[in-house]
Amino acid sequence: MRSRGKAAKGKRETTPRPAGLDALRAESDRHHLDQIRRLLARPMAERTHFLRKRVPGGGSHV
Amino acid sequence: MDARPLLERIALALERAELDAVLIGNAAAALQGAPVTTVDVDFMFRKSPAGLRKLRRVADELGAVVLRPYYPASELFRVVDDAAGLQADFMARVDGVRSFEALRARATRLRLGGHTLLVARLEDVIRSKRAAGRPRDRAVLPVLEAVLREKQRQGSQGEA
Repeated sequence: MRSRGKAAKGKRETTPRPAGLDALRAESDRHHLDQIRRLLARPMAERTHFLRKRVPGGGSHV
Repeated sequence: MDARPLLERIALALERAELDAVLIGNAAAALQGAPVTTVDVDFMFRKSPAGLRKLRRVADELGAVVLRPYYPASELFRVVDDAAGLQADFMARVDGVRSFEALRARATRLRLGGHTLLVARLEDVIRSKRAAGRPRDRAVLPVLEAVLREKQRQGSQGEA
C-alpha cells in the first residue's frame, strides 16, 4: 500500500476536548445512576456486598 | 465480600446481649442502596454502665475483644477478632447525630437470618458525614446524595 504524502493527508476532524469530556462525564453519570437504580431495585437484605477485606501491608480489596 | 454472614452474627449477638445499637456509616449507606464499600461496620449505641456490660457480652458472643484505640480522646469501642476479620466500632457520640433515641426511632428494621438489625436512614448517614467533614466523608457525599435523590424520586423511603 502506498502511503499518501503529507499534502494529501488533509486535516483530521477531532471532537473539541471540552465537548468530549462533557460527553464522557454525562455517560459516567448515566452509568452511575443505573448502578444506583439496580441497587435500589434489590431488597435491602440483598445489598450486602459492600465489605472490603484488609490485606497485610496495608490496603484492602472487595 | 458479602457482609451478610458478619451482619447476621452481629445481629444475633446484639439480640442475645439485648444491646440497642444502630448501624451507621458506609455500611448503613450501602444497605440503603449506595454503591459504597467499607472495611468495617460502625454502630451508635447508648453508653451507660448497662450498655457497656451489654457491649462486653456482644464481644463474648462474637469471640472478640473490646478495645479503646483512641482512649481518652474518643468514646469509640472497637470489637475486634483479627482471626475472623471482624471489626465493629461502637460509638456513643456521632457527629451530626443529636440523640441516639432519635436515630433509633428513624432507623430501618432489617431482618437478617431471623434477627433484626437497625440501620440508620440515609439522611442521618449524610448528616453525620457532613458534620464529620473528613476528606473521605466529603468524597462520598455526592454519591450518597445522588442515592437519596433517586430514593425520593422513586418514593421508596422506609423499605426493609
